[in-house]
Amino acid sequence: MSRLLAAAVIALALVPLAAAADRPSLAKLEGEVMCPVCGTTLDQSDSPAARQIERFIKRRIAAGDSEQQIKDALVANYGDAILASPPHHGFGLLAWWVPLGGIVLAAGLLGWGIWRWSHTREPAPATAGAPLDPALDRRLDEELQRFDA
Amino acid sequence: MARPVRLTAQAAAVALVAGLLALLVWRVVSQDNNAVAQSLDKGKHPTAPAFDLKRLDGSGSVDLASLRGKKPIVLDFWASWCVPCIGEARRLTAAHKRYGDRIAFLGVDTKDFAPDARAWQRKHGVTYPSVHDGDGKVLTRWGGLPIPRIFFIDRSGKVVGELVVEEDLPRYLRQIDAS
Repeated sequence: MSRLLAAAVIALALVPLAAAADRPSLAKLEGEVMCPVCGTTLDQSDSPAARQIERFIKRRIAAGDSEQQIKDALVANYGDAILASPPHHGFGLLAWWVPLGGIVLAAGLLGWGIWRWSHTREPAPATAGAPLDPALDRRLDEELQRFDA
Repeated sequence: MARPVRLTAQAAAVALVAGLLALLVWRVVSQDNNAVAQSLDKGKHPTAPAFDLKRLDGSGSVDLASLRGKKPIVLDFWASWCVPCIGEARRLTAAHKRYGDRIAFLGVDTKDFAPDARAWQRKHGVTYPSVHDGDGKVLTRWGGLPIPRIFFIDRSGKVVGELVVEEDLPRYLRQIDAS
């Protein structure tokens, strides 16, 4: 019984920690949301427009909104361009898939090039020399016989 | 590397560079030089680019093209984070009281948060309606930042000028009122 009670107490103590981990943070969102007038993220801007969006994010965090809810509200007001990363739908998909496709294509081309290069090389020329001149051959035999003797 | 492979790779690289260059040229030519403000700078009087935006107060939308031929228009690009917009809005509100029955005044709240913009209008007693251009695409077609930007459109839909100095306001108001 006491073990059950201890487990319940620990579980209750961990609930706020888990909730805090899920809560959106202003610092994170500042790096993911663009300032609409400066072309940088909020954390790199000190413009009044950026401060206005920061105030909105703070209010929504205090009201208990999730990160996605805050982003959805910003997109509804400012459009997709308010997010630093392109959207995962429509034309924005290109920004995600084109670099990946480029890497795969480059790897494929490189592999094909290497395979082709390794299969089309001409065989190395034989190292064996031309047959010896009969006179030279005979002279070599004579020298060897004399050496053996 | 074999010759055909090398040629293909070179052709692909050249095509890629040419494509990026074409994109750059297209962006420069199509977005910057065709904006209304740039045309006015060159002495041209372009037809006001049409837009259809939701009203800031939530009651439907405004189609600029539908106003063409009915009334001259004063178009005011503003935002609640824009400090100089306060003074211009006050001057336009005063002009709206005087000319409002003959000239349409329309604000375009741009790159702004709509609830803040509504509060800003109430706070500064702005009497003319506004539409909401949250992503700033309409502003870009008219010349982009900085704001405030105030344009004057005559009854035929031609943009006759942009407010640059204080004296422009009464001058352009008289001009489009007579159009």
